[in-house]
Amino acid sequence: MKLLTHNLLSSHVRGVGPRGYPLRLQATEVRINPVEFNPDFVARMIPKVEWAALLEAADTLHLVEVPEGPTEGYERDEKFLRKMHHVLLEVDVLEGTLQCPESGRLFPISRGIPNMLLNDEETET
Amino acid sequence: MSDIQEATDQLLDVNLFENQRFVQVTESGHRSEPEHLQVTIGATVPTGFEQTAADEVREKLGSSCKISKDRGKIYFDISVESLAQVHCLRSVDNLFVVVQELKDYQFKETKEEVLKDFEDLAGKLPWSDPLKVWKINTSFKKKKAKRKKINQNSSKGKINNGRGEKIDERDVKKDFTSDALDPHILDYYENPGIKEEISTLVGDDLASSKEDDTDESSKEETDHRALKFRVTCNRAGEKHCFTSNEAARDFGGAVQDYFKWKADMTNFDVEVLLNIHDNEIVVGIALTEESLHRRNITHFGPTTLRSTLAYGMLRLCAPQPSDIIVDPMCGTGAIPIEGATEWSKCYHIAGDNNPLAVNRAANNISSLLTKNQIQESKPSWGLPIDAVQWDICNLPLRTGSVDIIVTDMPFGKRMGSKKRNWNLYPACLREMSRVCRPGTGRAVLLTQDKKCFTKALSRMGHVWRKVHTVWVNIGGLHAAVYLLKRTSQAFVRSSEQDEEKGTPSSCQE
Repeated sequence: MKLLTHNLLSSHVRGVGPRGYPLRLQATEVRINPVEFNPDFVARMIPKVEWAALLEAADTLHLVEVPEGPTEGYERDEKFLRKMHHVLLEVDVLEGTLQCPESGRLFPISRGIPNMLLNDEETET
Repeated sequence: MSDIQEATDQLLDVNLFENQRFVQVTESGHRSEPEHLQVTIGATVPTGFEQTAADEVREKLGSSCKISKDRGKIYFDISVESLAQVHCLRSVDNLFVVVQELKDYQFKETKEEVLKDFEDLAGKLPWSDPLKVWKINTSFKKKKAKRKKINQNSSKGKINNGRGEKIDERDVKKDFTSDALDPHILDYYENPGIKEEISTLVGDDLASSKEDDTDESSKEETDHRALKFRVTCNRAGEKHCFTSNEAARDFGGAVQDYFKWKADMTNFDVEVLLNIHDNEIVVGIALTEESLHRRNITHFGPTTLRSTLAYGMLRLCAPQPSDIIVDPMCGTGAIPIEGATEWSKCYHIAGDNNPLAVNRAANNISSLLTKNQIQESKPSWGLPIDAVQWDICNLPLRTGSVDIIVTDMPFGKRMGSKKRNWNLYPACLREMSRVCRPGTGRAVLLTQDKKCFTKALSRMGHVWRKVHTVWVNIGGLHAAVYLLKRTSQAFVRSSEQDEEKGTPSSCQE
């Protein structure tokens, strides 16, 4: 699971609503996977990123050199874009958990795949 | 009859083939050197996506297309130098080089006369340039096969018994990882009777590797023995007094006499295509392995999502760089994988509730990565794609965070219950409208249960606007691909909606 995916995932436990975001990340196995750098892609992705969630996740994984937020003229700042590219696409969580911040419900990540399925009770009114 | 006259005239320019040898024929007169040959290529595409394919041809080859009245076929002209690029087209299933197109063919009254005409036709066609193209194409495929073999590592996997295989000759690479969990590019094979059996490309791989082996070993022999061939006839039209088998047989007989080739239905070098659609006849020579496999597929009545169809669906929604593209019911991941291959400037997420499906999707992604590794000669390059296990009715995604949703909606068949669809489809459309970005978001949905879908959509006019419908034919079944645009109205979570959501059994498959 890449951090860009984590940035989109939200808990859908009944009654939690928008308080189910962001999911708290815990990782026991992480792999760095080079991905082809595309500055246009990264630049356009920046406005879609929820920074607080990204920083929190990056912090749990003890990543260094993570920009605190979009800098002035970031679209043309290759160093910035490369750092963002690395954080969003090249860090792969293979084993770990995602936790709903509101209900505490844990979702396992196994072989890079988060399992977000809920039980019947958790989806019932 | 003027076409026949033309063909006869051309015959006078053609040198006849000597028996037992295939000799490169150089022609005098207006024809150019083989390298600068201009030929007409025919391509079969998923019916309904002819325009999409034509767009891709224009974009990648710069050629304009003629879309045939015979559905599922497009024609375009290229110079032989572009042949390799033609094989890279993602929207075409099979390719052939046109020997002759006969418009407005006059069929005689009786079957005997018609079949006799076919026999006479064989010797009058301009075979030599198309055969040159065939030869170039064959040697090009062998080079690819050689490269594949050099790059090949570790063992081949299990064969599934040939059902429901996706044909993707371009992408057939024999580079398997040593992952024991079935790492081959799979395709989602939908059939209520075998819902958990996933078809594989492995059978294809091995079959084509066998063919390659045969080709390789017999390569030296090719020049010293007669070529083997078969004729495949596709016939459509109501006024024909003959069957495709009869036409293939008699035309084939004449081809055999003319070229002194050996007829062989399974282990052939040249596949001659005789396509008859009402009054139009197109004779061609196949450039891709015309699917004997696919013929088996239609026999089993599948709804295999071919990668060409996945490509067509993705192209319909015009992905822009940085678009987040989600397939919430991905099966084995055919659509996201096609997406990650062709639209690498977007971000793809493959999701499904079935753990088998998600695992296979993940394995397919690994295979794709391995393939890329070998192709690009780079160690473990990743791709902008992820897999998640989730429930379509309760997507764990932020509201309004997804740009494109593209999926094959399999419910009608697997559930076996139309009644359940009446609850399911609205729930899906609702949840999809929640995660889809208002204003710019769009969805491309393939479904066979068009009635249920249309009804469900009619109640969602405030969030979804139907922009376009493509009628597709999948293995004989009539399906539709709906292109929807997300309106700019923000998603509102009402208590009424929450109540409807609280029926979990309807959301579990």
